[in-house]
Amino acid sequence: MKDLVGVLYNSVPSGVGTKGALALSLDDERELLKKGARWAVERGFGTADDLDKTESGGCIEGADPAAVSGKALERGKNQQGTLGSGNHFLEIQYVSEIFDEAAANAFGLFKGQITVMIHTGSRGLGHQVCTDYLSTMEKAAKKYGIKLYDKELAAAPFNSPEAQQYFSAMKGAANYAWANRQVIMHQTMEAFSRALGASPRELGLRLVYDVAHNIAKVEHHTVGGTKRALVVHRKGATRAFAKGHAELPESYRHIGQPVLIPGDMGRASYVLTGTQKAMAETFGSTCHGAGRLMSRHKAIKAAKGRAIWRELEDQGVTVMTAGRTTLAEEMPEAYKDVSNVVEIVHSAGISKKVAMLKPLGVVKG
Amino acid sequence: MGDIIRLDGNRIEVSADSKEGMLVPGIIYVDPELERHLEAQAIDQVANVATLPGIVGVSMAMPDIHTGYGFPIGGVAAFDINDGVISPGGVGYDIN
Repeated sequence: MKDLVGVLYNSVPSGVGTKGALALSLDDERELLKKGARWAVERGFGTADDLDKTESGGCIEGADPAAVSGKALERGKNQQGTLGSGNHFLEIQYVSEIFDEAAANAFGLFKGQITVMIHTGSRGLGHQVCTDYLSTMEKAAKKYGIKLYDKELAAAPFNSPEAQQYFSAMKGAANYAWANRQVIMHQTMEAFSRALGASPRELGLRLVYDVAHNIAKVEHHTVGGTKRALVVHRKGATRAFAKGHAELPESYRHIGQPVLIPGDMGRASYVLTGTQKAMAETFGSTCHGAGRLMSRHKAIKAAKGRAIWRELEDQGVTVMTAGRTTLAEEMPEAYKDVSNVVEIVHSAGISKKVAMLKPLGVVKG
Repeated sequence: MGDIIRLDGNRIEVSADSKEGMLVPGIIYVDPELERHLEAQAIDQVANVATLPGIVGVSMAMPDIHTGYGFPIGGVAAFDINDGVISPGGVGYDIN
């Protein structure tokens, strides 16, 4: 496991730096923002089947690179194919428990199987898009007479030019994130292949699902018996569409959408599936992770004098990290127990447990 | 902070009259155990989102809720495409 984590650490760039990222020209980057994960597949990172197993096919149509500032493009041009820092990670896990045999079968999961979970997003580009448009939207709120009970709620009428500009920039950032995970997944498969001396196909490596959890999308939902077009905001929440939905890949359509719930690096992660109740109650949404219990600052204080990597090693989890304070900030006790979180959404019926995954090796940014 | 009503073992409601300007109630998916860890500021953010024009249904949060920029992390909110809004705080900095 140590060797494998080492190979992954060296194959997938992590941390705050940009070393090892794809070198993008501005034209490349603009095309990537429009095409999302498809851009990566066209360049040999993964296959078309991966797009079928990705929310929205890894691309929201209508992204406009012209709505993304020069500063955001600058930040994005050296970070494609990188994990980043903070709570982002790449984790080798094993399936420790199956709760729903039929769903697990459809998703290709079985007890004892090795899985890899990748958690990262649009990196500095997305961060810059948010920063840029918060000030635009603050002015827009004033212009359109929206009373803000908190300045941070800055918003504009969806049909206004300001809102449409933000939305098309946000789509570009979302597409950047999908491409990023597609590239990293490909690098991960190649690293496994090199380390274990077998092709990804021989190793049975394939994508189960790729899903977003910080995004706004136009979706159609039935509200009070009427189908309505809505702008659904999910911030730290995951799409969880029920079986039968046209957006699901055909092989999962009789089951429901796979939902990935990363937990902390010591305890567990989950695969869930969407339900009709989620469609009726939560616009087809569920939780996204464990949720922090301690602030980063508080976690660093609590970890003082401790060797978190050794504590994890003693539990059988090998960790490699680029950042100096990352392990302290991200230690298991800084988070709620993801099992408690998942139990609530399962028992509320807005998603159903399919499998539990336990960590073996972690690359942290 | 305003009135919190427990609806069942998995949900609490932030009533629509608990804060000025709320157009709809808030619902947080949380059991009594995790409710003990709920930050007052995060509950307030669920109520704040309920004041935004064109919100449909309720302002929601998942059990992994914690305080975020404007909207809580763990938040779900839908707005009408014709008379609703979009808000960068409802997506956050770490887009996608």
